[in-house]
Amino acid sequence: MKIVIINYGSGNLKSVENALKNALLNNNWHYSINVTNDLHHIKNSDFILLPGVGAFPDCKQGLLKTVGLIETLYEQVINKSKPFLGICVGMQLMVDKSLEKSLTFGFGWLKGTVERINCKGVDYLGRGYKIPHIGWNNLEIDQRDHPLMKNINQQEQFYFVHSYYIKTEDRKEILASTKYGHTIPAVIGKDNFVGVQFHPEKSSNSGQKFLSNWLSWKL
Amino acid sequence: MLSTRVITCLDVHNGRTVKGVNFVNLIDAGDPVEQAKLYSNLGADEICFLDISATNEKRRVMFNVISKTAESCFVPLTVGGGVNDIKDFKDLLSCGADKVSINSSAVYNPDLIQLSSDKFGNQCVVLAIDAIENFKMKSGYEVTTHGGRKKTNLDALDWAIKGEKYGAGEILLTSMSADGTKSGYNLKLTRLISENVSIPVIASGGAGSPKDMVEVILKSGASAVLAASIFHFGIHSISSVKKEMFKNGIHVRDCGF
Repeated sequence: MKIVIINYGSGNLKSVENALKNALLNNNWHYSINVTNDLHHIKNSDFILLPGVGAFPDCKQGLLKTVGLIETLYEQVINKSKPFLGICVGMQLMVDKSLEKSLTFGFGWLKGTVERINCKGVDYLGRGYKIPHIGWNNLEIDQRDHPLMKNINQQEQFYFVHSYYIKTEDRKEILASTKYGHTIPAVIGKDNFVGVQFHPEKSSNSGQKFLSNWLSWKL
Repeated sequence: MLSTRVITCLDVHNGRTVKGVNFVNLIDAGDPVEQAKLYSNLGADEICFLDISATNEKRRVMFNVISKTAESCFVPLTVGGGVNDIKDFKDLLSCGADKVSINSSAVYNPDLIQLSSDKFGNQCVVLAIDAIENFKMKSGYEVTTHGGRKKTNLDALDWAIKGEKYGAGEILLTSMSADGTKSGYNLKLTRLISENVSIPVIASGGAGSPKDMVEVILKSGASAVLAASIFHFGIHSISSVKKEMFKNGIHVRDCGF
């Protein structure tokens, strides 16, 4: 099996690669990992991972710098149904559009708009909701029988760091959510593609379980 | 519900962990890579490395420490100390750091906050503020640099508000007079800053017991607590801190206590 991590100038590639390597090693799976923006490698891959750190418009701009990259992703993920995982801004890119900084269009694979987290009031300790939403938060799993939720407990904690979230009315595409003042979709997906708002590569053993589920996803 | 983070800080000098009282009298407390792994296994929610090496050559050793840690430690890593420009940011992030903290360089070149935040996102820019009491300042606190040795004539509260405006994603607030004393966090200073910024504030300096950590969360509105010495010398464990927090109604990440 061949995994590609799409390299389009977004940070944290090393962390994602390290975490995948560890999950492969623990499961004794011998997949190759290629960090690349080479369309040929992407076409030859079995698993596609799109990381993303920073602002939505900058990430979109980074993707556009490689001519044909977004089209190749569409062809490989939507037409050829390869298992796809988007992390953080990589997840947000999967929906229609983002309002971060300015209106920017996403891939439109799922319905939704990326908007700034808007928490009024105070938390249970009387503290104001700080933005970014940084830290470990509980997962409320909506689709317990989804293969990517295997061995993951209701309320298990994952590491989040973001100021924008996906606002969507489409409940059936939300696999799990988290709460920070209001509900935030934490795992969204359809068919062969999923996106996570948290960072599985930084979520210790819980993240490792999630990555193992993705790597063993049989479609 | 968001857990309140317990962050362990490793002060690294020439590739080894050290921690001194009020930043002097350094005592070697071990290998940072091994310690980071241990802390991550014991339930630390984040690991923070502060590089206090004096020279640039020695600072290169830090890249190796971060790379090695990032290979086996799957929790967020913050690295600070001697970060002067965008290239330092890029180098640290590409080694596997998730966040970079800046202190003196931000004071002398505030543009760095905005430049780094625009380039890498505000979530990876941590503004470290080392504050001391100074009644001549409007807020009563002054920003210091170089490990507390240099005064800046900057008001700590003004600086925190500016830092947020320029694009910092978090503030790591250290009370220099409390640092290393194990006599508790500076509640007044922490409350002053956290009530006046909308980004998370990490309380640092002075942790002597789990009770101190509970107190700073409940009484000052900090989003996270950071400590070094009390963990390094086995005085208190991360799980005993989390247990105490949990007992006092603070939501924490389960670490098997």
